[in-house]
Amino acid sequence: MSAVPSLIDPQKVARDAVALGLRLGADEVRASVGRADDVQLQRRGGRLERAQEARTFGLSVSLFVDGRYSSHSSSDMRPEAIAALMERGVESTRLLEPDPDRALPDRALMGGLDEASLDLDDPAARQRDPARRREELEALEARAIAAAPADLISTTAHLWEGRSESWMCLSNGFEAQSARTTFGWGVEATLKEAETGKLPEGYAFEQAVHLSDRPSADALMAELDEALSLTRRTSACASGRYLMVLDARVVGRLLGALLGPMSGGALHERRSVFLGKLGEQVASPRFSLFDDPTIPRGLGSRSTDGDGLLPVRRALIDEGVLKTPLLDVYYARKLGMAPTTGGVSNLVVPVGDRSWRAATAALPEAIRVTSFLGGNTNPASGDFSFGIRGQLLRHGEAVQNLSEMNITGNILDLYANFVEAADDVRLNSSTRSPSLLFDGVSFSGA
Amino acid sequence: MADLISAVSPPSRPEELYFERFGVTQEALRGVMSAALSRGADDCDLFFEHCVISSVSMADGKVNRASTSIDLGLGVRARVGDQVGYAYTEDLSLAAMLAAARTAAEIAMTTPGRAPVNLSVLGLPSYYPVKERWAGVGMERRVPMLRAWEAAAFARDARVEKVSCQLVDAERVIAVVRPDGRVAQDFQPMTRAVVSVTAQQNGRRESNLYNLAGRAGLELLDADRVNRMVNEAVDRTMFLFDAGKPPAGEMPVVLAAGASGILLHEAIGHGMEADFNRKGVSIYASRMNERIAPSFVTVVDNGTLDGSRGAINIDDEANPSERTVLVQDGVLKSYLHDEISAKHYGVAPTGSGRRESFRHPPMPRMRATYMEPGPHKPEEIIASVKNGIYCTSFSNGQVHIGAGDFAFYMKTGYLIEDGKLTRPLKDVNIIGNGPTALERVEMVGDDLMLDEGGWTCGKDGQGVPVSQGQPTVKVGALVVGGVSA
Repeated sequence: MSAVPSLIDPQKVARDAVALGLRLGADEVRASVGRADDVQLQRRGGRLERAQEARTFGLSVSLFVDGRYSSHSSSDMRPEAIAALMERGVESTRLLEPDPDRALPDRALMGGLDEASLDLDDPAARQRDPARRREELEALEARAIAAAPADLISTTAHLWEGRSESWMCLSNGFEAQSARTTFGWGVEATLKEAETGKLPEGYAFEQAVHLSDRPSADALMAELDEALSLTRRTSACASGRYLMVLDARVVGRLLGALLGPMSGGALHERRSVFLGKLGEQVASPRFSLFDDPTIPRGLGSRSTDGDGLLPVRRALIDEGVLKTPLLDVYYARKLGMAPTTGGVSNLVVPVGDRSWRAATAALPEAIRVTSFLGGNTNPASGDFSFGIRGQLLRHGEAVQNLSEMNITGNILDLYANFVEAADDVRLNSSTRSPSLLFDGVSFSGA
Repeated sequence: MADLISAVSPPSRPEELYFERFGVTQEALRGVMSAALSRGADDCDLFFEHCVISSVSMADGKVNRASTSIDLGLGVRARVGDQVGYAYTEDLSLAAMLAAARTAAEIAMTTPGRAPVNLSVLGLPSYYPVKERWAGVGMERRVPMLRAWEAAAFARDARVEKVSCQLVDAERVIAVVRPDGRVAQDFQPMTRAVVSVTAQQNGRRESNLYNLAGRAGLELLDADRVNRMVNEAVDRTMFLFDAGKPPAGEMPVVLAAGASGILLHEAIGHGMEADFNRKGVSIYASRMNERIAPSFVTVVDNGTLDGSRGAINIDDEANPSERTVLVQDGVLKSYLHDEISAKHYGVAPTGSGRRESFRHPPMPRMRATYMEPGPHKPEEIIASVKNGIYCTSFSNGQVHIGAGDFAFYMKTGYLIEDGKLTRPLKDVNIIGNGPTALERVEMVGDDLMLDEGGWTCGKDGQGVPVSQGQPTVKVGALVVGGVSA
């Protein structure tokens, strides 16, 4: 990084903010300071097209004043600016209405996992030669161009790396510090399809916490090749109900549809299809979903959560039974329940024992969904509708590339009809799920 | 002192350099630009930003949540042709600004560039004059406003179970500084209000919302708009209890006037952004001056609509905002240009170079995108459909630029049977191909309406506020995400 050396001591900034908040009259204060170094490079047409670097800081403060609550953030780290932010923050908080559920967490619930065992801070980030990054990107672009199909019209190679650190300081004495690194790269390509005049695009992007875990250029090329093959000569097949193979690369979209209604906010606001269903069967007994923040080098792993709670591996849905709502400290108090965590880390679905091809080999027809386009979920009713691309399968073999189709239904019905998980889990993702198979999904097409 | 630092206050004199109050002198600006050009870049820009966003929320009958966010920083871009070096800093000390400039300069590797000339602040139009700034509206005035919205929502329908309200105001000053001496400073207000409702009927719950947004101060929230916001939030929630799904498949789709501009935004607008076209990856890349829609279709992207969310007095490269006609009487006439694409095509920039913040380089973006009124009456459009759907509200959309495939999510609508609106519908994704959908526009109403909601457009990791609108439009066939038997 070529950013100017900083005189800012993030831990001191966080501690000073807490002390100042208390002096100004707050009953409790939580302050977090983040510092991040970020590099983004992009090559196209045999040249470096974009190079971006930055070192950023940010302070966020939660103030608890006379039973009232407010939160504030700023990128302006000058002491006089922070003092002004805190003064205005405490003043404005006093004008709000009380909220008895706002308070720092019970100290007994707070804690952090061992940073060393999580292994989220790769020393390679601090030893990285900027010239080496550019060489790697140049080589990646050259590979992509050399492997390009004849109808390729544009290819862009990307590389991004970063290291972020955060310091959390609470007025109850709790402090936490963490650091994580990210190393990512990828290629996107656009083809010109002679028959249709369309310019379909495909991409392959991968990242890891450690440089040595970053998927190889060979892996990227294979992924790009498959992505491009899926975009060729696409059309819609007949509307109807099909078994759906939800590809491991995009499974997060429909797992995410479960998380919104699980959140404390949705449950408290009664905008949740899971309202009153805790401990009940909400999915097929074959389906389980875990949140695991403890995975070493996991992209979603963390040593402490946003409230300062000790991260724990939890079953969100266990054999189809709704086990754990996502409750931060505030909504847990509102709902009269124990806090879990306000946001997920690594989502894990247990791996199956056969490939999706083997699982669909006996079926005359099925549809493999490989990407989404638009769509949304209604968390109150569970209704969803998404645009999709993919492949029509006959006896496990792809016979038609699909586009301009939708899937529509309700998440309770969808997960009740979960059939099995395949064996193709992706580890370079915070969504560690294999491809998932669902029966009787409504597809609209031609 | 506190107000000076943490609140935005526009320059008191037109020639005043806003960021001088943070210690950034004219001499420093010239020095930073010299550093950005020091390795031979063709051009550079400095983008300063000071933004304060305040939010106050009400839930469970209490206005008990508030937040403030302050953003201050500088982005430096150095350009060599279409190559971009970019760096940013939140620290406006000279040392930090120079370091950012030298980092951005590394994109070039030749000889020192030209020296910046004396700076001069540009005069700008005023597409969003503010009558009453939020800076003067204290919590003691905001709290009763939210209380009144909540009370009105509960009074509207006995089935309302929960109401939450939020009021967000942003005041932002940007300054774009160029080596040719141009300094463009713009005070950019934004107000957004949201009412969300959850209701219960016979043990079933539904939830929906309505929001207002615009570049204005307190005056945005006049009685008419607030009544509409509350009533629509409640009525659109109740609508969902009786709504179902249409049949699955391809069918005629009629888009109601207003928010259906999302069709234009996704199906056409992104494909007109000239960065995609100069790279040859947009489906519209080779279709300039070709007919791409029926003769009654004219599509405009306009940054000059008074008080609209997508309005800008100046773009983020210091080029004037304008009304850009993209499609005139069915013929493709212009892309949306930033400086890099304008140079590539040998045309003038269209004032479309926008960025989310100082942390991002600019690129061609939409502002307020809409279709001009057409020759048809809305009722005759509906009456022309034997079996199809009528879409009345939307939540989001997406496009694949190269393939041209787009989608938008219909939150509420109706089935059309024999030319009449029949069953209410909800929660359906609609998908199509942009060029094909344009060719299939069969009728355009005379009832253009710009939507008043808070749309944010995402591209390449950057979100910018936009507006969109449309008259009632009939598309001959799109794939509707209904339910198969």
